[in-house]
Amino acid sequence: MSENSGTNKFLRIFGIDNQGRKRRDPLNVWVPLISIGLALVVGMIVIAVSGRNPFRAYALLFGDSGLIPGGSAWPREFAELLIKSAMYIATGLAVALAFKGGLFNIGAEGQFWVGAIVATFFGYWSPVAGAFGTMATALGSMAWIAQLLHGAICIILGMFAGGAWAAFAGFLYVKRGVNIVIGTIMLNWIAWFLITNWLVTGPMTPPTQTFTSGTYYVADTAKLFRIMMPTRLNTSIILVLLAAYATWFLLYKTTIGYEIRAIGHTANIGMEAPKAQGINVNRRIVQMMFFSGCLAALGGCFFILGMQYQFPNTATMGYGWTGIGVALIGQSEPIGVVLAGLFIGALRTGATSMQVANIPKTFSNIIEGLAVGFIALQVAVRYYLVKYLQRRRAHADPPAEQEAAA
Amino acid sequence: MKALEVHNISKMFPGNLANDNISFSVEKGEIFAIVGENGAGKSTLMNIIYGIYTPTAGEIYVNEQKARIRSAEDAIQLHMGMVHQEFMLIPRFTVAQNIVVGDEPRKGIFFDYTRAVREVKELSDKVALTVDATAITGDLPVGVQQRVEILKVLRRGAEILIFDEPTAVLTPEETQELFVTMRKLQSQGKTILFISHKLKEVMDIADRIAVLRRGKVQGIVNKKDTNEEELARMMVGRNVVLEIPKVEASVGPVAFSCHDLRVKNARGMETVRDISFDVRGGEIVGIAGVQGNGQDELVNAMIGFTRPTSGSMELNGKSMRLVTTAELRRQGMSYITEDRARRGLVMPYTVRDNSVMGQHLNAPFSRGLRMNYDKIAEFAEGKVREYDIRPGDVLDTAGSLSGGNQQKLILARELSLPHNFLIASQPTRGLDVGATEFVYRKLLEEKKSGKAILLISLELSEILGLSDRILVMFEGHIVGETTPDKTTEEALGLLMLGVGVDRKVVS
Repeated sequence: MSENSGTNKFLRIFGIDNQGRKRRDPLNVWVPLISIGLALVVGMIVIAVSGRNPFRAYALLFGDSGLIPGGSAWPREFAELLIKSAMYIATGLAVALAFKGGLFNIGAEGQFWVGAIVATFFGYWSPVAGAFGTMATALGSMAWIAQLLHGAICIILGMFAGGAWAAFAGFLYVKRGVNIVIGTIMLNWIAWFLITNWLVTGPMTPPTQTFTSGTYYVADTAKLFRIMMPTRLNTSIILVLLAAYATWFLLYKTTIGYEIRAIGHTANIGMEAPKAQGINVNRRIVQMMFFSGCLAALGGCFFILGMQYQFPNTATMGYGWTGIGVALIGQSEPIGVVLAGLFIGALRTGATSMQVANIPKTFSNIIEGLAVGFIALQVAVRYYLVKYLQRRRAHADPPAEQEAAA
Repeated sequence: MKALEVHNISKMFPGNLANDNISFSVEKGEIFAIVGENGAGKSTLMNIIYGIYTPTAGEIYVNEQKARIRSAEDAIQLHMGMVHQEFMLIPRFTVAQNIVVGDEPRKGIFFDYTRAVREVKELSDKVALTVDATAITGDLPVGVQQRVEILKVLRRGAEILIFDEPTAVLTPEETQELFVTMRKLQSQGKTILFISHKLKEVMDIADRIAVLRRGKVQGIVNKKDTNEEELARMMVGRNVVLEIPKVEASVGPVAFSCHDLRVKNARGMETVRDISFDVRGGEIVGIAGVQGNGQDELVNAMIGFTRPTSGSMELNGKSMRLVTTAELRRQGMSYITEDRARRGLVMPYTVRDNSVMGQHLNAPFSRGLRMNYDKIAEFAEGKVREYDIRPGDVLDTAGSLSGGNQQKLILARELSLPHNFLIASQPTRGLDVGATEFVYRKLLEEKKSGKAILLISLELSEILGLSDRILVMFEGHIVGETTPDKTTEEALGLLMLGVGVDRKVVS
């Protein structure tokens, strides 16, 4: 097996680091790419069958996705792409981290909203907002320091709350044996209804407003910096890239990550090698869920502090669910999650434009769904890919007929 | 007539010639054994015969007809059947359901359970293998489950049966029963391929024996013309010291002791009852016993996995009450497990990452939160050389190593922990002769350096050869204490089975 094959070169460009393996597995890159390719092809067929022109649809979808520079609308589209992607990457990282530890945190949705509501509260709550307002005035031209601090406090407390929300599911799992999928999904609905049916329409609504207006707006000092005027692009994309790096560092460079991955590799029933070597598996699981919840909540903070500036009455679920798809397409690797998040962000950004050609924007959801579906079929994709590669290798190198024992 | 002929079979894996020009033939009605160390190519060969792998070169003849076996279905069509080491049974199904699954009798579109039971009873009568067709499979002892597996294969019309390491999961008595079954099948004209690395068993049951080493046939011998020593020599290619040398060491202070220990198993049954013993530095205390007589629960309590219901344990004079596994390891306990896949190693982790698990929080392997993988790799490379772990690349996954090399890796890890008390629970289970010898040598070195060792084993020769004192466990009690020079395998065997034990003690 030549070390300098095309796939390996390709991988080196991606710089994917699989600490656990000797040879980086090229399939980790190929499988998602092929799944996306298949999804686009099947998506075309679906559009064609519905009597529309798939090429025009894709031209609009990707032309306005923000991925391709050029045109007067591009800066705005690019900004929208990054703003959306930042949130998907955050929830994607949350799900991916839990996957690495062998758990399916389906509760990124709830953790996202818990982070959002807590960030909102500390964004407007007068003791905090007032203090930073005074500080900003006093600092004059240095007011950005107050904005930095207030934003940081909102994000840290929001993340902490989301982390605690997830850690509670982890606690129920290790202490009471509550299945993590059930635990997190139940907590999703508890969070969602507590927030939208009570907090947002009750205690957190300004008294002078009607119940349809959402919460108080956060103070200016709580808002994320905007970095590309006049678009609304803000620092969320930078923060989420830092979070992705931190997740990678946690997983592959720290003792906690070493233990989390060991637990993930042995998550099958009855496997207890880490425990037998003295690793405190239960504590690590709760910690891991905490970190996972923090990441999802970071997305919720972006939603409030970078886009809405209040918790709107019209918020709809979906950021956490999307994160599951992002983690799957990204193969649970932080770098993969970043790329997958950008892809989903692009689809969502371009989708609106398709409507111009009388193509419902739900077609981009179809493509997204298909991509996740093909990822879920990755055992099959891997199988045919391995077969194909074998045949090619046998062709190139006839005397040593080889096959990988699957 | 020849039931099966293999001509010049070779199988190439990337970088590894697993089977190298293998040829042999098996007569109809013969029990043909294939022995070899782990990694000698036995499993690959069986998988080729059974159609799971395609050979790189060579031909197979079944009943003197050239056969094209491309899948397990092809093999079944040719009346071959494989009894796997890990049973392919569904625990919640009844015996009858398990035997017919995949080829069920039907009434219209419905599954005809009554007929399934009847068919299974007829079959079991015909081949004289008794099973209760309506029992829930998961409740049956392992030996009986294996019988179900055999019946399943026979129902599909198997004439050639392949047994892949069938005794690995069996107790000695169950093994004897299996051999009775195999002889029965032989008398009914079936042909049997028996894969094993246990020479004693092969000498017991086989008519002819093929020895594999590094993918090649070293020789095919008649059972009556050979003996264990010769087979062992052929297997490992040199003279193996099956005799264990005596090592004298001065006995030191008590490292571990327990008093009136009682432990319950996961189902709440008390399986360790009033056990008291101690282990001193420089001695090996052997616990002999048939599997399932409380050894597992004893170990679980010792390593902090379960809490004893009563009694006390002390490690180096300190009470072990409510102490975690991590703390016990810090206080000097090392543990070699029999279950490498489940407890010993994280299989998808590399040799490097496995080599420090448990001490990965210590300098120089990590500082604060930061792992130092360079230092770990350096350490692992040293251990790979010292313990001769093959193939020797520290970035190979543990799962890709052979069983013997996995065990060497576990030994390397556990013996490099600072420790003075070692629990060795069936340390040679599933290992070939060479690796077994290596483990023995290491245990004796440990003893010589003054470590206290508790050896739990099902192999009497191992217990007798290594131990300074022997405790016999039966139904959760220690029913006898002796020394190797005062007892024999037979006497120990009887004690292990509870023969001559005062029933009042064990009730």
